[in-house]
Amino acid sequence: MSNSLVLAPAPRSDAAERVRAEVREFLADELAAGTFTTHVDTWLSGVDPSFSRKLGERGWLGMTWPKEYGGHERSAMERYAVTEELLAAGAPVAAHWIADRQSGPNLLTYGTEKQRQEILPRIVRGECYFVIGMSEPDSGSDLASIRTKAVRNGDGDWVVNGAKVWTSNAHESHYGIVLVRTSPSDPSNRHAGMSQLLIDLSLPGITVNPIRILDGGHHFNEVVFDDVVVPGDMLLGEEGNGWHQVTAELAFERSGPERFLSTYPLIAEFGRRVVDSGDPAQLAVLGRLSARVLALRQMSLRIAAALDRGELPNIPAALVKDVGTTFEADVIEEVRRVADVMPSLDSPDPLARALAEAQLHQPGFTLRGGTNEILRGIVARGLGLR
Amino acid sequence: MADQDLVVETVRDILSGHEPFVLTPARRWDEGLWSALAEAGLTGVGLPEEAGGSGGELADAVAIVRTLASGAAAVPVAEQLLVAGPAVIAAGLILPPIEEPLTFGIADPVTATSSGDGWTLTGTAADVSWAGVAAHVALLVTGPDGAALALLPTSGLPVSGAFNLAGEPRGSLTLEATPAAVAPLTEGQARELRAGFALARAVQLGAALEQVLAWTVQYAGERHQFGRPLGKFQAIQMELAEMAGEVVAVTALTDAAVQALAHGSADVVLAAAAAKVRAGAAVEVVARLAHQVHGAIGFTQEHKLHHLTRRLWSWRDEAGSELVWSRVLASGLLADGPDGLWPALTRVV
Repeated sequence: MSNSLVLAPAPRSDAAERVRAEVREFLADELAAGTFTTHVDTWLSGVDPSFSRKLGERGWLGMTWPKEYGGHERSAMERYAVTEELLAAGAPVAAHWIADRQSGPNLLTYGTEKQRQEILPRIVRGECYFVIGMSEPDSGSDLASIRTKAVRNGDGDWVVNGAKVWTSNAHESHYGIVLVRTSPSDPSNRHAGMSQLLIDLSLPGITVNPIRILDGGHHFNEVVFDDVVVPGDMLLGEEGNGWHQVTAELAFERSGPERFLSTYPLIAEFGRRVVDSGDPAQLAVLGRLSARVLALRQMSLRIAAALDRGELPNIPAALVKDVGTTFEADVIEEVRRVADVMPSLDSPDPLARALAEAQLHQPGFTLRGGTNEILRGIVARGLGLR
Repeated sequence: MADQDLVVETVRDILSGHEPFVLTPARRWDEGLWSALAEAGLTGVGLPEEAGGSGGELADAVAIVRTLASGAAAVPVAEQLLVAGPAVIAAGLILPPIEEPLTFGIADPVTATSSGDGWTLTGTAADVSWAGVAAHVALLVTGPDGAALALLPTSGLPVSGAFNLAGEPRGSLTLEATPAAVAPLTEGQARELRAGFALARAVQLGAALEQVLAWTVQYAGERHQFGRPLGKFQAIQMELAEMAGEVVAVTALTDAAVQALAHGSADVVLAAAAAKVRAGAAVEVVARLAHQVHGAIGFTQEHKLHHLTRRLWSWRDEAGSELVWSRVLASGLLADGPDGLWPALTRVV
């Protein structure tokens, strides 16, 4: 098979297993104390700043970053273990998720020294949250067609006009890394003329409008920029290099365990049902789902190991996300085929609740972070077809 | 995997002189290929030299099995190197000469009885891979105190002529007070032997799935319709990407299960179960889409595709189907109760 799709196996990490045990103990204590309840897809919907700060206190945010910015200089394998434990428990991790996964690493690569010194330690403490400003009302999969514009004024500051959508938890966040057009579009090079700006979401001229998802939850927003003056030194990276920078973020965005564990709490509840019923058909379905989880873990671990080697495996990451998000959605139908459960958000039966939450979030799994059609196009490139 | 490059090259060189052919009851295996492999010592790799093997690591044996599986080689090497050979040695029985094909069968209905001066076997061993081809067979049978491993030569045994969907011999051996060497196995050893057989098939499936993807990508680049290669059509690209996802998933999990076996993990049975379930589940997607992309020519014996797709459809049900192993896997993962499910998932591989 094409080498661009195949990564070396991940070595077993004792350090990762040690921190995994610590996280597991912490989560058991928190659950026992009732500080959170398990839900499906909590990396989108579970905003809880006090929980994020607790993770920060324990050193589980900014884990891989340099100590000079508050980080802990631990491996991607250790971070992987922490994040997958939090997801499997359905813990409320949405507040800090984007900042810890993606915005922090982006600042480490492209941020100025001042930006890093000011912002990264706050992310590490679980106090500073980020949104991704990529999609727009008229630009979804075709990201190169964005129209949000930033123009330099006489003071050297940027004046931003336009709108970004699907900005998860913008109403709870402090900054956005926003892809903007800084030169007019060039039909001969669609990827030129874009830049990333680091924008303080409290600036005048920014309006955050809620976009409710199917269960009524307010996680997404439309963020409107109306002559927003962004200080000139808030350009992230190089002017005109925005497309390249956005692409580099995607190995972080697309490869993590949140791309196959969003519905794990449903599997966990189904496991309880299987133990109670002893039904061999349910047992077989749990076995099949488990085999898929085990394969996806190995795929995702290989990416974490590649990140530790300093690689940015964008094509394997796209493949993991395609397979993983397809799985997250399949869990619903697999469980329904063998368990007679009426999905309901207010049922006393935790399996019925988990099924309801999973169902109403399901359309998003294969859309967010790049639709599976886009991802398969990237995989096809990896196969040498494009 | 770079450590295995040399052995893989050697096997490929030998394979290049032995194209796969349509197996029939009259031509049930590739005897010439076997002889060439045996001559090169490749039919003893991974088995210790002091036991009569050629030495080398499990990883070398796996690399040989993978290369032969992707070449649709009709020889009992997976059985000899990954299942029967290691089992015979572990049980303290004497490994037959590595030039003489040794196969493996699960034969619970066969009973082993001690008769003073030795052991005899009675019953029917069904679905024995390479029955009628292999010179020796190791069978997982029922002894007086539970499971046992029996080893016997096959010459003179009545064999029924059953074959899998690829024409590989899968016949029954009839045993009637047939002398054999027998060693008792613990329940755990018997479970690990069944799992080892399943893992061997998972390894073969993984390699064959990867090869089918490679053939399909290549065909999509060569075949032109509407003035361009098939691979330039988005609809075809989506199908090939879906195949690639399945193949990468199978490879990642099978590699991890082989590692679990190499390291003597306590969870090797569950790791093998998971690998077999995942590999088996990938067959439907990969074989279906491969045939869809190849079009009508892939549906003929003229084209090579069937050498692997017919094996895929057979191997997924051999050594325990997805149904069998998914129940074993789920039961094992729930051994510590429902709260133990996640800890087990992070421990197995």
